Amino acid sequence: MNSTTGPDRAPAIELHGLVKRFRTPHGPPVRAVDGIDLSIGRGEIVAFLGPNGAGKTTTLDMVLGLTAPSEGSVRVHGLPPREAVRTGRVSAVLQTGGLLRDLTVRETVRLIASTFPTGAPVDEVLERTGLTGLAGRRVSKCSGGEQQRLRFALALLPDPDLLILDEPTAGMDVTARRDFWATMHEEAGRGRTVVFATHYLEEADRFARRIVMVAGGRLVADGPTDQIRSRVSGRTVRARLSPGGDRLVGELRDHPACLRVEVDGDRVEVQTTDSDAVARMLLLGHAASDLEITSGSLDHAFTALTQEVSR
Amino acid sequence: MNRPAAVLNTTYAAIELRRVSRDLVSLFFIAGLPAVLYLIFGSSAEDSAVRVGDGNVAFYVMVSMAAYGAVTATTGVGGMAAVERMQGWGRQLGLTPMSDAGFVVVKTFVSFAIAVVPIALIYLLGGLTGAEADPSSWLISGLVVLAGAAVFSLYGLAVGLMFRSEGAVSAASGSLVILAFLGNVFFPLSGLMLDIARFTPLYGYVALARYPITGGELVSATGPTSETDPLWLPVLNLVVWAIIFAGLAVWLVRRGRGRQ
Repeated sequence: MNSTTGPDRAPAIELHGLVKRFRTPHGPPVRAVDGIDLSIGRGEIVAFLGPNGAGKTTTLDMVLGLTAPSEGSVRVHGLPPREAVRTGRVSAVLQTGGLLRDLTVRETVRLIASTFPTGAPVDEVLERTGLTGLAGRRVSKCSGGEQQRLRFALALLPDPDLLILDEPTAGMDVTARRDFWATMHEEAGRGRTVVFATHYLEEADRFARRIVMVAGGRLVADGPTDQIRSRVSGRTVRARLSPGGDRLVGELRDHPACLRVEVDGDRVEVQTTDSDAVARMLLLGHAASDLEITSGSLDHAFTALTQEVSR
Repeated sequence: MNRPAAVLNTTYAAIELRRVSRDLVSLFFIAGLPAVLYLIFGSSAEDSAVRVGDGNVAFYVMVSMAAYGAVTATTGVGGMAAVERMQGWGRQLGLTPMSDAGFVVVKTFVSFAIAVVPIALIYLLGGLTGAEADPSSWLISGLVVLAGAAVFSLYGLAVGLMFRSEGAVSAASGSLVILAFLGNVFFPLSGLMLDIARFTPLYGYVALARYPITGGELVSATGPTSETDPLWLPVLNLVVWAIIFAGLAVWLVRRGRGRQ
């Protein structure tokens, strides 16, 4: 791959003060992206999360040179986006990437391959994406999942260092999603940098090592997946209170690390940023038993972080 | 960095041509229908051998029908180019090294290559069924039909950009029938209708293609008239319409970008 031979060590993506304003027919322009600074290193696998209209697609469009920023700068492997696309350093599976319905799968791959200066490996890419058996089929006769695999095949043609996937599994059934991510795992294993936007938090949780969360056109969280998960909700500690353990509830409510304390009969549930301390308090002197610690779900973090911004 | 000049991507062009060759309905309207119209109104008409300027009626009708077929082809290619790009194919191509200029080169080549089909077919039929004129008239009229058809790829492009649907492109191709009647293509007009015709888009194009035999002389349903168009008139008509279509297309592209 190019990155191993290139002398430059610029990050895969570098965004500085990125802003995108859209004109609207009536009223003031909308700031779809409202000042994003972000650096993504080579070989990282990053999930780009955010609710609809958060500015994910617009940001990715600017990274790919499909839209020009209103303000700020974008560098992809140290190059302007269009240059990075032209040299095959970056490629993408777009949410709305159109296909020509009356072409066959193979014609589509051959057509896109022909736009790259070096002979892109048509047959190899068809094989790797499991499309060899469908090569002669018209695009219009392919299922949604098959069309998405075709878009993925097109993205692999330039052998990109950076692969961007915008909602890659939208509209796929469970099996197709699983197969897609299995193929993605292989591709990431080849040392590609992968950035994907998704609605499925479970996909981000399982596949990404870093999560970047956007809402209202701004970055609201950025860090390792585990850290993001625990950042807002922390961990939840559940236990059964022993007789006379009630006085502990007051202590827990006063504790600065306890975000929420709920009692239901002899069950207590504590949401905390310091589960060790809470566990110690509960177990000390046999005040509680049946202790259980769970980490917060990404869903929680997502809802909490994105709502904070829209408020 | 110096960008390479946009050269023709032959693989893309070949796939595009194969795509069109599979679309038999479009091919019928591009080549089949005008060929049949020529056979009915040109070669088998009673007056097919009657002289028109330096040629005969069969030649005059042959040029008209070839022109109609050619503009049907270029309008369709231009329109589909616009619709494809807006339906997401443009974004897909945006992820490749292909430049906008490269895309235009492919589509221009394809639209000429397809426009050649009705011209070649109908000129061949003409040669076989009694169309007569000087060799130079055959050549020049054929080249004018081909080159002038490019203006109507801009017409298709503008309609495609404006209405953004395949249906609109079909409608644009269909509207050429009306423009052909209004433009003195199918049936010789006279009087007020002819005065109106001079302002319509197909008038200048077809008048220029016939110029090698007519020298601008107008034909009525009953034979030659004393009226003559100076050469500048059809040229001006074609140039003005080319500017209108191109301006409209540019304006629509800019409007589309602003909304992105």
